Amino acid sequence: MGKPKAKVDVSKCLACCGCISVCPRDAIYWEGGKAFVDKVKCISCAICIRTCPVGAISGEVY
Amino acid sequence: MKYDVVVVGSGPAGTVTARFAAEAGVNVLIIERRAEVGVPVLCGEGISRKIDEWNIIKGTRWMAGKMEGARIYSPDGTCVKLSAERAGNETGYVIYRDVFDQELARLAIEAGAELMTNTNATGLIKEKGRIRGIRAKHFDEEIEIEADIVVGADGVDSKIGKWAGIDTTLKPEDLETCCQYTFANVKNLDSYCDFYLGKEIAPGGYIWVFPKGKGIANVGIGILASLSEAGMAKKLLDNFISKDPRFKNAHPLRFLAGAVPVALPVETVRDNLILVGDAARHVDPITGGGLTHCLEVGKIAGEVIGKAVKEKNFSKEFLSEYETRWKEAIGKKMKRNYMVKEIMLDMDDKTFNMLADSLKDYKFDELSTFSLIKALVKKHPTLLMKLRPLMKVAKET
Repeated sequence: MGKPKAKVDVSKCLACCGCISVCPRDAIYWEGGKAFVDKVKCISCAICIRTCPVGAISGEVY
Repeated sequence: MKYDVVVVGSGPAGTVTARFAAEAGVNVLIIERRAEVGVPVLCGEGISRKIDEWNIIKGTRWMAGKMEGARIYSPDGTCVKLSAERAGNETGYVIYRDVFDQELARLAIEAGAELMTNTNATGLIKEKGRIRGIRAKHFDEEIEIEADIVVGADGVDSKIGKWAGIDTTLKPEDLETCCQYTFANVKNLDSYCDFYLGKEIAPGGYIWVFPKGKGIANVGIGILASLSEAGMAKKLLDNFISKDPRFKNAHPLRFLAGAVPVALPVETVRDNLILVGDAARHVDPITGGGLTHCLEVGKIAGEVIGKAVKEKNFSKEFLSEYETRWKEAIGKKMKRNYMVKEIMLDMDDKTFNMLADSLKDYKFDELSTFSLIKALVKKHPTLLMKLRPLMKVAKET
């Protein structure tokens, strides 16, 4: 089992783009007013999880 | 599609750049990924009175109220009152930011710029390493927009700079993560913008309450991402509101989140490329305010683009007039305030309380460095030691 990767709960995401701005691997992108994680690029650093002001990002093991 | 210039992002920095370029006879297209200019409002909605001097935006439709000043509350509740002139970038007027942005966009369009909403930039068009325009998605359609200059006005999460090789990734210690309510039926509001400081209240940032008239207030929080935990900003803000009696019978009209760069500016020109606004980190690192900077910097960018198109010279060397001029305008202040931000982060709540206690009766209209220091150390002599790094910065800049 791999490390948990970031996953955005789109029902909570308000598209503030904080997570996109701090992601060191450019693994998060904007589409249609929500943030999405490219789990291939995600390195499980959890910076985005801590940054999210509304707690919309969590770790998920794939 | 072919234009002289394509501006990515319809926020104030983008539309002011586009407008001044269009006024100089440049063929400009602005693209906006969202469906509506100015929406959602990711902002505390305060702006300095400096805007009156600039002649960039007139009218009053975007104005919610004129402020008399600001009150800054230290962690123990001590209040320091500042007049609007002394309160910096964030007070002066409280605005309807959506109306404000749309008015700036209207002025750009009136000057001749074109605007496309629902158009998300997906990459740069490059030819032998040279930037020739951008690729974008307009609804579902993939489009190519050729342009001699690409302006990255694409906000805190800017991609334009990255695609051109400028590292715009923000460290968590250089990002304020924010959320904000607009509340109705708030009691006891007056004409002051309130700021609340403290490690328990808003670590590395502050909570604001800005009155918008008729019992409406914009209340929000910004905390430093490096001090944040998942969902912390919203929790701290909700906690503050639940304890403040002004909000007892108030209910939200709007809840939004935002992110603000509090970093040193990045490189802002390359061949065929310019960065403006949040994308260029043109934000005051102490207050997180950027609106007046955007207007100032956008005007310079538009004027330089006008010259570049006339001379058909899109080189980094030619466009660097823009960087030189914005640095003259705001560069020094930004650098100094970044250093002050770092020092303030190391200050504990006790120091903030002592500072506020020393300043609460100080008449800021007589502001001079000497009288300020005298006032500070009179009540709390130990402040002199604590504030040494700040004085060093003041001396050097």
